[in-house]
Amino acid sequence: MRIGIVCPYSFQVPGGVQRHVHDLAETLIAMGHTVSVLAPADDDVPLPPYVVPAGRSVPVRYNGSVARLSFGPVSATRVRRWLTAGEFDVVHVHEPLTPSLAMLAVVSAKDEPVVATFHTAMTRSRAMHAASGVLQLVLERITARIAVSDPARRVQVEHLGGGAWQVPNGVSVSRFADAQPLLGWPGEGGTIGFLGRFTEPRKGFPVLLDAFTRLAVARPSVRLLVGGPGDPAGVLESVPAHVASRITFLGTVSEEDKARMLRSVDIYVAPNTGGESFGMILTEAMAAGTPVVASDLDAFRRVLDGGRAGALVPVGDAAALAEVLAQLLDDPGRRADLVAHAGEVVAGYDWPDVARRVLEVYHFAIEATPRPATATPGSPPP
Amino acid sequence: MWVVVSVVAIVVLVATYLTWTAARVDRLHARAAAAYSALDAQSIRRAAVAAELGERQGFLEAQTAAKAVLDAVPEDRESAENDLTRALRVAAGKFDVEAMAGIEEASRRLALARQVHTDLVRDALAVRRQPLVRLFRFTRRHPQPRFFDIDEPTLDDNQDPRHR
Repeated sequence: MRIGIVCPYSFQVPGGVQRHVHDLAETLIAMGHTVSVLAPADDDVPLPPYVVPAGRSVPVRYNGSVARLSFGPVSATRVRRWLTAGEFDVVHVHEPLTPSLAMLAVVSAKDEPVVATFHTAMTRSRAMHAASGVLQLVLERITARIAVSDPARRVQVEHLGGGAWQVPNGVSVSRFADAQPLLGWPGEGGTIGFLGRFTEPRKGFPVLLDAFTRLAVARPSVRLLVGGPGDPAGVLESVPAHVASRITFLGTVSEEDKARMLRSVDIYVAPNTGGESFGMILTEAMAAGTPVVASDLDAFRRVLDGGRAGALVPVGDAAALAEVLAQLLDDPGRRADLVAHAGEVVAGYDWPDVARRVLEVYHFAIEATPRPATATPGSPPP
Repeated sequence: MWVVVSVVAIVVLVATYLTWTAARVDRLHARAAAAYSALDAQSIRRAAVAAELGERQGFLEAQTAAKAVLDAVPEDRESAENDLTRALRVAAGKFDVEAMAGIEEASRRLALARQVHTDLVRDALAVRRQPLVRLFRFTRRHPQPRFFDIDEPTLDDNQDPRHR
């Protein structure tokens, strides 16, 4: 099948949607399909061979974070050229409601069936409501809508008056399962792990810091390994020196180091206080065979199979988190049980499986698209 | 002079908007119709797989229900579809995963087909309600699309991979 995928965000910056597009494209190519990915990128940066650059991206604040987007007449021309040259059987756009290449591709597509994936669980915004007439013009050109999670699907149902077919985010299980732990980790005495922008409040890092401080008082050799961008000095102010010395900050980690980091800890903690739609990092930790402790958020509860594939703690409750961590550190049997069940759960998220389900949607979208010759049945011949 | 120019400009704008709206109405109805054909095909496929399972396993209920779907007149189609879903859920409790593999897939595809069809019908119905569309009777060539109102056709009432 000839598949055209549109990524709204630049591959030059890491992000969940970019990762998803990258993994989906490579899985589909490995299955023998022809894939072209259109993404914002400067012309002179090295890109995978299947990525077509659509020109410079500009940083835009959107939905609580900064996205790099391409939008404008130059981008529109490139999108049209890419569509014409690609002769795609299906065009798959991601996050088409952001003013981006994805939206341009939806409105520029002619006869190609359009499949759209929605990643974010946006809260109802005034902007979205005000623009609902325009968004409807975009939405009604999409044949099949995919949501990666139930919260993302609910955005469709509640705010946009439509539905969506659920296909979860994929994870390359083997890439995480086979990664080598970082040298010298996890070591004796127990290591807790955290990944993400620890300066961003909704990631909940202060809750983990508080819990770790409680834990560290009773356990002189427990350590905390943190990956992600940000300045550690700011968050460590409230932490006693003897605790701070047991926290290692890795800074921004590459995809490869992320896998290694997840294999380097005894327990992975996701103390998020909200704003998560799927919990990709949880499936990655599960794929790495690391037991997970996470905030009891809807999205996390779903991925963790209601708490059977990872422990859940009340959102923002540092004392409860410290207690659960202590119990798990002392109970290798329980950790092994969580990991075993997590392994079964995460198998359903492995990319080849997920890509097959996406292909099912492509096939149906093609079947459900009017043929150009019979586009208006019942209409008199011209 | 400027009166003539502005009148011409307004007429051109209005005409363009009407033409565009008419084309949009046609497009949305064509999409809903195409989605129905594809949904119909998916439903027939599932019935065929179910009939085959019924025969292979000697499970008469599935065979009968599948035949009822294939023979149903449009008004009875939805209830026949629901009967088949119920029969297949019973079958899922009786036979092993291997025997049910084809059914599971066909049911999931029918659920997907219904989801897509529902969205496209909703889009078409929304445009039919617009005052301008009604005033100019842009829909006169298109019968009103109908939702395909059936219960969730998947076997476990949940398409989530964790429950597969």
